[in-house]
Amino acid sequence: MKTNIKSFARAAIVTITLSVAALLSTTAYPAGKLNVYNWGDYINPEVLTRFSEEFDVEVTLDTYASNEEMLAKIQAGATGYDLIFPSVHMHDILYKLDLLEKTDIYKHPDFKNIDPQALRAKTDPKGEYCLPYAWGSVGILYNKEKVQDIKSWADFFAIPEKTGEKIIVLDDMRETIGIGLIVNGKSVNSRSKEDLKLARDFLLEQKPKISAFSYESPPLVMAGDVAAAHMFVGVMFLVMQDPEKLGFVIPEEGATMYQEDICVLKSAPNKGNAKKFLEFYLRPENPALNVQQQMNGTPNIPAIALLPDELKNNKIINPPADVMSRLQIFEDLGADLKLYDRIWTKVRTAQ
Amino acid sequence: MSTPKSRARKQLTILLGPVTLFLGIFFAGPLGIMLVFSLLEPGLYGGVEWNFYHWNYGRLLGWADGLIEEFDPIYLQVFGRSFRLALITVALSLIICYPAAYWVSRSPDKWKGFCIFLITLPFFASLIVRLYAWLLILRPTGFLNHVLTSLGLVAEPLDLLFSRTAVLIGMVYIFVPFMFLPIYASIEKLDMSLVEASKDLGASTFQTFRRIIVPLTLPGIVGGSIIVFIPSLGNFIVPDLLGGAKVVMIGNLIEQQFLYARNWPFGAALSMLLMAAVLVFLLVYITSVSRQQASETIRA
Repeated sequence: MKTNIKSFARAAIVTITLSVAALLSTTAYPAGKLNVYNWGDYINPEVLTRFSEEFDVEVTLDTYASNEEMLAKIQAGATGYDLIFPSVHMHDILYKLDLLEKTDIYKHPDFKNIDPQALRAKTDPKGEYCLPYAWGSVGILYNKEKVQDIKSWADFFAIPEKTGEKIIVLDDMRETIGIGLIVNGKSVNSRSKEDLKLARDFLLEQKPKISAFSYESPPLVMAGDVAAAHMFVGVMFLVMQDPEKLGFVIPEEGATMYQEDICVLKSAPNKGNAKKFLEFYLRPENPALNVQQQMNGTPNIPAIALLPDELKNNKIINPPADVMSRLQIFEDLGADLKLYDRIWTKVRTAQ
Repeated sequence: MSTPKSRARKQLTILLGPVTLFLGIFFAGPLGIMLVFSLLEPGLYGGVEWNFYHWNYGRLLGWADGLIEEFDPIYLQVFGRSFRLALITVALSLIICYPAAYWVSRSPDKWKGFCIFLITLPFFASLIVRLYAWLLILRPTGFLNHVLTSLGLVAEPLDLLFSRTAVLIGMVYIFVPFMFLPIYASIEKLDMSLVEASKDLGASTFQTFRRIIVPLTLPGIVGGSIIVFIPSLGNFIVPDLLGGAKVVMIGNLIEQQFLYARNWPFGAALSMLLMAAVLVFLLVYITSVSRQQASETIRA
């Protein structure tokens, strides 16, 4: 969900397995193994290589395209994975389903590096199970040659009528209904029918202006085929390559944020190595290395100080407190998810 | 000593045994699971609770499950839309394939092989990759508009991306080979002396086509239509990629239920309805075609 690669992976249902250690042409046979199951393109391969070299462990990486895909696979009995990277609400669900291994990572001396605010999972307030991994916002990517001064969701949805250009929103139930809730000043975790009706009516009103629901928007925005798109902050890697042409903004009305945590599965075959990875990832230089490729936020505070200036001072990647206060994160809604499903089908079906 | 009858029976068992076993385990089994699941209560995080739950089918017909607001036959609309898209796809690919197959089957043998090769060529690349290629061709700054504008055929770039036209182009593009091959096979077998006889007896070209050629190649048309209809009904990659996912198809709806909505029983109910609808549709189609064929034979 974090990158434009998402539905490539989803549609093709291709799992890319990358054996980092095998690529290193090590002469000695690695002492241990670590099987990582992560979102597509959601970790700097360099980080895995470092871990592999330092601990003489063969690391394999499989990828998924959504929390639900990962959960479905684990629930269906997929074994062999050690580390997974669920979003915070999925971290809660996995805990409730008793699929997580207790690691007591919070007892490690380096755990002081972690921003206490990043312990967002309700079921794991101390960090007894998982380690906060990375976070980012979901905002608007736009092409400055097509539109200027995009600051808010109102500006975004006004583009088609004002300029005749196209806009794309994410093909994501929670994210897109989230916009409808945010513009109405409601929580993105609202379970109130009234709030959701407001969100639905807002989206139905915008529907004729929306060109597509898609994760594939960045190349189209770059080419100018589409003026602006609802997108994850990971797209900053494109914006920073061409800041004259592309812009990314966290809308004034507010936006959603995501955070993933690194968790060890109860069924993990290599629990020792998995815990070693959590400890390894507490050391600031490792998350710092990751951020330089992923362009998202890290909960490891000393890691931010190690970043090059253009990342350290970037207000999108490391937003100031007033922007942070406008960001909302998804919670697990339990059975009330049905309300969202019904609205999502309605919005997607309307013509 | 085994009688011929018992030997035949033994032979039949050996020939049909493996396929029966295979379909029994891998087709009937899952189908049974789906039927049972469609009558159960959804589990909170996927899976099912083993309680009888009749709401799945009610919800499918529009009742709102006592949740958000009023009666709304939204899921039936999705079915209707998927059927319409599938039917249009069948019609368009038939119109494109029939003349082409006719021409290929009448051309010299060395061409035939080459043409068949060309038709099957797309299968060598992944469907997703080919659809992405269409995205690149159709977009405003894409290949098609480059060609058209530089030839001066259009002043403004055509706005095809994320349109209904793009969806139809993609659907027909994918399913053309499936329509072409069965039609080609039946035209190939067409006895040309019957066509000549019809002309000799004074029938016009249109009469010959309608009364002789079409009835004789009907098995190919029916076969091709069915092979195109069923997968296009479940297809949602084309509407998602080329149509901008603005319209939900049955396929998306089922995927949505199993993954994001975590409602397996409702997904199972949707699948059961889809299967039932396809069965009924095919029964009606095949009986009407064979009745028509029978009446043609009587008239002839």
